[in-house]
Amino acid sequence: MKQHQDITRDRELLLGLAKGEDKSLEIIYSENFPVVLRMILQHNGSEDDAKDIFQEAIIVLYEKVQNNDFTLSSRLKTFLYSVCRHLWLKKVQRTYGLYSLSPELEEVIPATEELEAHQAKDQEFRIMEGAMSNIGQPCQAILEDYYLHKRSMQEIAEKFGYTNAENAKNQKYKCLMRLKKLFFDQYNTSL
Amino acid sequence: MKEEMSLLRDIERYLEGEMSEQEKTAFEELRRTNSLINKQVEEHQLFLLHLGNYGQRQQLQAKLNRIHQQLDMPALRQQAQESNQAAKRLSIRRRTITNLAAAACIALVTSLSTIAVIQNVTRNKSTAQYEDVRRVLNNIQRSQNALINDINSKSKAPLNPGTYGGTGFAVSGNGYIVTNYHVVAGADSVYVQNTRGEAFKAVSVFEDISSDLAVLKIADSTFKSQPLPYALKPQSVKIGEEVFTMGFPRDEIVYGKGYISAKTGFNGDTTAYQVSIPVNPGNSGAPLLDSKGDVVGIVTGKQTTSDGIAFAVKSAHLKHLLDEMPKDKQPHKDWNHKSHLEGMNRVDQIKKVEEFVYMVKVYN
Repeated sequence: MKQHQDITRDRELLLGLAKGEDKSLEIIYSENFPVVLRMILQHNGSEDDAKDIFQEAIIVLYEKVQNNDFTLSSRLKTFLYSVCRHLWLKKVQRTYGLYSLSPELEEVIPATEELEAHQAKDQEFRIMEGAMSNIGQPCQAILEDYYLHKRSMQEIAEKFGYTNAENAKNQKYKCLMRLKKLFFDQYNTSL
Repeated sequence: MKEEMSLLRDIERYLEGEMSEQEKTAFEELRRTNSLINKQVEEHQLFLLHLGNYGQRQQLQAKLNRIHQQLDMPALRQQAQESNQAAKRLSIRRRTITNLAAAACIALVTSLSTIAVIQNVTRNKSTAQYEDVRRVLNNIQRSQNALINDINSKSKAPLNPGTYGGTGFAVSGNGYIVTNYHVVAGADSVYVQNTRGEAFKAVSVFEDISSDLAVLKIADSTFKSQPLPYALKPQSVKIGEEVFTMGFPRDEIVYGKGYISAKTGFNGDTTAYQVSIPVNPGNSGAPLLDSKGDVVGIVTGKQTTSDGIAFAVKSAHLKHLLDEMPKDKQPHKDWNHKSHLEGMNRVDQIKKVEEFVYMVKVYN
């Protein structure tokens, strides 16, 4: 009975996450972080490691629930925990080579399938992040305001001191062209 | 540069649906005819998608960081450390217990198998060194003597020589015979045959497995009782005393001479002597007599590892055994008299004794 309740609750939380409700995200975060923190500390990680790993796992989960066909095959807790373990394993391998792996970590069944899609997306994100940080200000701010925060050109013109929206628009197109160039240069070489 | 920018503007306007109907159809026409432009449109769509993803993720990360800041980190830290320590203690304890258990199991298995191996080896050694001297009778031709006697007396004893054979000797005039238990063990029927070739059916009335003795009773009407010439000497004899035996290692009675070489038998058995005397299969149950003609023991077996070492149960033990027999089965105690053989020379002694020594034939 309890298990059934738990599953129902997990499902509701995931639905909330898919809709972008902050409350669900908060619950998921605060309920699962302590366990992951414990695990990372146990395996000689730091608190910051725990934070990074856990947030990456949440992002994985978020990407999953964005696809409508995602169904959770285990408890949410278990999913996050195993993803975290796997991410930590990879990180340790990257950082120290193989020697410092604890035997318990190696036993974990790798959540490979869950993470392949994520890795591709993560790379795209990194490329975009790199491109964004390279175009410089005020281009980055303008583009973020327009495309991500969905501000109107009028607001942007006022904010950045352009005489009219048309001028701001021209500036935006210049910035956009640079960003696209930077992005696709990286994107096409790495994929 | 200018052209690119105006194209980009057009693409954006097209994708955002800001174009008028007329412009839209014109642009779509352009897309269809100019693959380069079409590609740019698709590229821009892809770019916007990535940009959107980027925005979403950035937003999510910002949210996560906000939530993270709200967490009570010191409390969580403490909690995690405490439970980790507990887990570590538990895992160390568990590991220790597991190791101890494994070590104990190995020790147990090792000692048990060692014991088993040692026991097995000891048993093998004993069986290798000690050998019963009963005889396996194959198709040995029976003596002519016996055949003739068989015909004359029309004895009911089967002509078949039997499966196993040993020796027995009378302990009373009325048909009680002592032999080895291993001679008659598992017998269907037992026949005894004297030197004159007369065979009588016998039944085992008492058996003592520990000292390897059996008492048979002749159950045949043709048997006539006669007094024993020898006596049973209950005292133990000294080392070096000369002894002789008479048995049936073949179908003919065979005399053997030797001496007592030790006061204990095989593996320190105090109920037996070690005797230096030639014995062969078939000698089992033969009497061992001293120079005065008193029975001092019963030959039971020999050591296989060296020649001339035989073992005989002490007569004292036999006496003890006979006393212990149920009253109704007890033979007449007519061996307590003094031996009639004292002072006779060996040839005459043998002549007297051989009538009371029987070949025991076992059928099974």
